[in-house]
Amino acid sequence: MKYAMLIYDDDSAWVDLPDDEKAALRAQEMPKWVALFEELGKSDPNVSGKELDGRGTAKAVRMRDGERIVTDGPFAETKEIVGGVFLIDLPDLDEAIRLAALIPAAAGQGAIEIRPVVQ
Amino acid sequence: MQYMALIYADEEAWAAFSDAERESAYDLYRAFARDAEAAGVMAGGNELGPTRDATTVRVRNDDTLVTDGPYAEVKEALGGYFLLECESMDDAIEWAARIPGAEHGAVEVRPVYVDPAEVQL
Repeated sequence: MKYAMLIYDDDSAWVDLPDDEKAALRAQEMPKWVALFEELGKSDPNVSGKELDGRGTAKAVRMRDGERIVTDGPFAETKEIVGGVFLIDLPDLDEAIRLAALIPAAAGQGAIEIRPVVQ
Repeated sequence: MQYMALIYADEEAWAAFSDAERESAYDLYRAFARDAEAAGVMAGGNELGPTRDATTVRVRNDDTLVTDGPYAEVKEALGGYFLLECESMDDAIEWAARIPGAEHGAVEVRPVYVDPAEVQL
């Protein structure tokens, strides 16, 4: 079964940091994510992941009556937004839950939403 | 540059579609995918199962908390996404506006984070 793991987290602490501080924070966080990715790879060697840029770069696009409406910011005005997605093929939901709990963003204020992918 | 186009739409409306309506909606998506592919823009995409099949996982104080349902109960839920290979955000917006879901829901366009100095996941 293919699952999408949607990583919801509050990026507000990040967005306003100067670039060098952001880079330092990333450097500090990255080893955890690399270790996680190795762990995910044991369950599905073809796992893929995409990290999304912060909320400041998001645009929401709507078409209404043939007119294009573009607004700044993410679609949902919530504190936590989708910050990344893993796509992974696993035997069952239990395994997906086990692995989701290993994602660093599951702790703290974040949460992981597991969604089956329509084949 | 890759952009993720996250498609938010009314799930109940989708669930209420007749088979014929659903098939014609899929036709619109297939037409979009074909056009994006022909233009060299299509880099992937997935439709997600309904949020009633979602499971949300949190870890608090080392305990794993598992709840049924999506992270947030919203009328317009994330139903799928496309990965688009575009020159700029403006191009990505052009393509996002052509995704059928933009007509009734909304498409959120997000640059995919790239740092050449780092391990690419």
